[in-house]
Amino acid sequence: MTALLDIKNYRLDIGTFDGPVHVLKGINLSVNRGDTLGIVGESGSGKTVLVRSVLGIGPRNSKVVEGSISFGGQDITNLPEKDWTKIRGIRISMIFQDPMTYLNPLFTIGRQISDVIAAHEKAAGAGVSSRAARRARTEELLDQVGLPNPSMLFSQYPHQLSGGMRQRILIAMALAGKPDILIADEPTTALDVTVQAQVLDLINSLVEKLNLTVIMISHDIGAIATVAKRCAVMYKGEIVEQGMTQDILNRPQHEYTQRLLAAVPDIDVEPERVAAQAADAKPAKRSNLLEAIDLKKVYRSQSGTDFTAVNSISLAVKTGEIFGVVGESGSGKSTLARMLMRLIEPTSGDIIFDGQNISGLSGEPLRQMRRHMQFVFQNPHSALNGRHTIGDAIGEPLRIQTNMSRRDIEARAEALLDIVQLPKMFKYRYPHELSGGQKQRVCIARAIALNPRLLILDEPTSALDISVQAQVLDFLQELRSELNLTYVFISHNLAVIRQICDHTIVMKRGEIVEQGDTEQIFLSPREEYTKALIESGRKTSQAANLQV
Amino acid sequence: MLTFAFRKLLTLVGTMIGIAALTFLITNVAPGDPARLVAGPNATEDMVATIRTEYGLDKSLPEQFIVYMGELVRGDLGTSIVTTRPVLEEVMRYAPATLELVFVAMFLGIVIGVPLGMLSAVYKDGPLDQVTRIFSISGVAIPAFWFGILLQLMFSVDLEWLPVSGRLPLVTRPPEFVTGLLLVDSLIAGNFSTFWVSLQHIILPAIVLSFPCLASILRVNRAEMIEVLQSDYIVAARAHGISSFRIVALYALKNAMLPTLAMIGLRFGWMLGSTVLVETVFDWPGIGLYAVSSALSSDFKPVVGVTLMIGFFFIVANTLVDLAYAWIDPRLRKA
Amino acid sequence: MTAHPMTPIDTSVEDTRPLTFRERHASQIRQWRLYAHMFRKSFSSMLGLSLVVLFLLLAAIGPLIVPYPEAASGAINMSAKLQPPSSTYWFGTDEMGADIFSRVIIGARTSLWIGVVITGIAAIVGITLGIIAGYRGGWVRAVIMRVTELFLAVPGLALALAIVAALGPGITNCVLALAIVWWPGYVRLVEAKTLSIKEELFIESARSIGAKTPWILWHHILPNCMSPIIVKMSMDMGMAILSAASLGFIGLGAQPPSPEWGSMISVARTYMPDWWWYSLFPGAAIFLTVLGFNLLGDGLRDILDPRSRDR
Repeated sequence: MTALLDIKNYRLDIGTFDGPVHVLKGINLSVNRGDTLGIVGESGSGKTVLVRSVLGIGPRNSKVVEGSISFGGQDITNLPEKDWTKIRGIRISMIFQDPMTYLNPLFTIGRQISDVIAAHEKAAGAGVSSRAARRARTEELLDQVGLPNPSMLFSQYPHQLSGGMRQRILIAMALAGKPDILIADEPTTALDVTVQAQVLDLINSLVEKLNLTVIMISHDIGAIATVAKRCAVMYKGEIVEQGMTQDILNRPQHEYTQRLLAAVPDIDVEPERVAAQAADAKPAKRSNLLEAIDLKKVYRSQSGTDFTAVNSISLAVKTGEIFGVVGESGSGKSTLARMLMRLIEPTSGDIIFDGQNISGLSGEPLRQMRRHMQFVFQNPHSALNGRHTIGDAIGEPLRIQTNMSRRDIEARAEALLDIVQLPKMFKYRYPHELSGGQKQRVCIARAIALNPRLLILDEPTSALDISVQAQVLDFLQELRSELNLTYVFISHNLAVIRQICDHTIVMKRGEIVEQGDTEQIFLSPREEYTKALIESGRKTSQAANLQV
Repeated sequence: MLTFAFRKLLTLVGTMIGIAALTFLITNVAPGDPARLVAGPNATEDMVATIRTEYGLDKSLPEQFIVYMGELVRGDLGTSIVTTRPVLEEVMRYAPATLELVFVAMFLGIVIGVPLGMLSAVYKDGPLDQVTRIFSISGVAIPAFWFGILLQLMFSVDLEWLPVSGRLPLVTRPPEFVTGLLLVDSLIAGNFSTFWVSLQHIILPAIVLSFPCLASILRVNRAEMIEVLQSDYIVAARAHGISSFRIVALYALKNAMLPTLAMIGLRFGWMLGSTVLVETVFDWPGIGLYAVSSALSSDFKPVVGVTLMIGFFFIVANTLVDLAYAWIDPRLRKA
Repeated sequence: MTAHPMTPIDTSVEDTRPLTFRERHASQIRQWRLYAHMFRKSFSSMLGLSLVVLFLLLAAIGPLIVPYPEAASGAINMSAKLQPPSSTYWFGTDEMGADIFSRVIIGARTSLWIGVVITGIAAIVGITLGIIAGYRGGWVRAVIMRVTELFLAVPGLALALAIVAALGPGITNCVLALAIVWWPGYVRLVEAKTLSIKEELFIESARSIGAKTPWILWHHILPNCMSPIIVKMSMDMGMAILSAASLGFIGLGAQPPSPEWGSMISVARTYMPDWWWYSLFPGAAIFLTVLGFNLLGDGLRDILDPRSRDR
């Protein structure tokens, strides 16, 4: 039996100003009918470029250097555009990553799906069916992907729907042509944990019901393991390892795969506390460094309705501990973090830092206070000003808050680069020349430049690749014991929280659902919501999938 | 949608009041004595003083402003010194000629600019794109008055294909007044020879007026099309097998039309402003020519009247563009 | 998610020896080489640059090299009036017998200062107001933007015409009037840009380390607004010159015999069509100058605006 899709020794270059970049280097991959293949890789591994080449929508300025892709026995490596119309969307279709940007905002859901149906009918040469027939088929598809009330959805626009619903609509669209191969490009990345689990379940049930052939790419091994029986690991444009998913998870052969698997935080493993020793040295009864009392934030929309982002939250962070805040998007955790630092003004409530009420501060005292607490942002790519060198970025807090001379600041910036384990010459570089992990280290260097006592970390690793995430987390724990810091650590990732936090609060819709000792929460959660959250976290975590 | 339209209407009225205030400020804050300006350069002190009392120029500024606004509400734009007739009456008489010219020019700009922009985007960096690029940048750079003179030289003087200037030959009797637009009125009257003659007259000035507008519509539409064609949802549409023609002509164009519409609104105003140049070159009896000749004879009231009128047309056009926006973009509809 | 090709940073140079200038500024050097490369590749950008350089050169040394410098000051030579282009008078002569070639070249200087003054005033006023409106928000923004919209609600040329009519004709008043109608464009551009930059994390990051508002505006917002401002200023140099020439043509701008291109055409128009050269050459000078600045601005946009950047 010949493979449905056969990629042989495929090499692809992208031309740039600095010469050609080898994006794909000798890819060999074959997919049989009924296969579910997962491709795992971190950003820059070339996995997206690979699957887009299969659909003939690869990057511009790209050139196939060697090798071929054949589909159903036909060579499609350099297929002319008009021949693609018989394949693209009909025999091979694709589910995209971010459901918001992949739907046209100006057309109704129904219009977009029935157009796809019409296009397929036209390509099949059967003639386009009536508007009503297409509508019926569209509603059937919407029903198939588990969307309620398809007839109402038909005339709605993308902006009126939630992220999970939009992702389902993209799936419905991809299924419109009864494709031979369905490619899913990071179908869960842009979604919340609980929604992620639902979408993966949906894909699984569709695979079973429609006997689909699926290629799913993701950086998330958990997601891949939920769907794919076979799996390939990509690293820097090469497939370093492929085989049965279970084998690869249990007995990774390649060094990179081993490293990658080790880096995935495991929700079900009690962590070895790196910082435990540091905590023991302190007296048993520790004082509160930061307290929030009845903190509340209400936003008023233009139409006059109130939206409570954070509702009456009280918390106490002890000196030297890592205080975790966990919740899904929209839970108000980022708003809370910014209020603690007075970056957002609370509507009511008090913030006590080291015994001083800072909620009423303004002007110079507020500026002075900022020396003692610093913030590390979620996305290091936009947290650094692209026009400033790394040296300027790290030196900026010193220039603003101290009277240090230019030369002293330079020296201090070099020392800080050393602390965050980056080469000194980085101070002449610009942010766009650094990788994500390096940028986040620069942000941390900037945050500790003034020797603060408290760091508030807002999802500091969620924009980073898994292997980098592990490095940064380890580094953060080392740094804490070295510099005697207290952390408030915000994350949506329960496994990460369990790995490093001493005390945790679980947030939902602006309120604390549950709080307590981290281990206690994970071992015996009291609230339903916490249980559900841990359960969906488990689905995308490593351990559960080893039992597939 | 209705409340949206109502809100836009309120904004329209507000802006009109603002423009009135602006013109008032220009007249009164400008150095120099407005009374002397009204009286003309050769007036004696006594005459200036008389005019000052007569026009209420001895009152305080806020008082004068209230009087001015009151007059505006009643439709009183003052009196022209040169013709001694009410400015409003004259502006109304000249306005149809200008509007006719602007409409024809706008029509040319949209009908040629949008498809050309679309094609240049689809065949980006191809020969057509190179040509339209030069064409569109020259279009914005060329001085309208000079371009007009060149066209006159070529088509009227040299080739004698088209008339040099004016709306109609002196010997032709204008059609019965219905809309004031000669092309429309002559058709209503069923007088095709007049239609033909007025069409010949309007071609050159309309081309000159529409050239920069066409150029910028082309450029905006091209740039937007290029961006939209790279967007995720177009990639998705391609991946789902929608035909290229449908993607370009329906999916992408609708998205690209939003900024293009904004440019059309902007250029409409720009055209109204440029009529002062084009009408001067072609002796086109519209409000632009009226404003220029009044300004040159220091007759200030008509200039202000025309400015207000042009502002009014521009705001109405922009309000229409806003409504079209909401019609195209569902995200703007709720509100 | 696209694979973004990135230059790997050479970290091997990590010893105690002080870095050379080239090593320290490797990033900037690469950036400028990339800019130059992209600019040179585009024919229209290079054409624009050449035209602008030629124009600036003529503005600088024009009066020194023209064959008849006295033509600029309205010297009368009735024996040579309205002569067609010849080897003596390259562009012919006008009704006073002045050499049109000399007058066109000397006119470059007038046009240059018109462009610089109008664009300069408009940019300074507009950027300041725009950045304040965008960053402060609230009633400050409301007031600034309302006034801006008011100015933008009347077509620029019409408003300028009204202002000149009130101030009285003349080149200074004309420049003043155009500057008054020109700044709102910058307010709108900078305000929109500031609003989007304000949402970037690095602004919040700067606030979190205790930066004051002026520091943030100067070090973070302004540098990130500069690309579109530079592009707009280049384009506006051309458009301002064109608008001033338009007012000159109507007869409200520069007054004859001052060698301003627009007012030259204004007079020349009465000598149409027989003495065609009289209006042809000053018009061509305006066209080429404005074209140059527009092409330059367009080329700059291509290399400065990352959205339109292909590589």
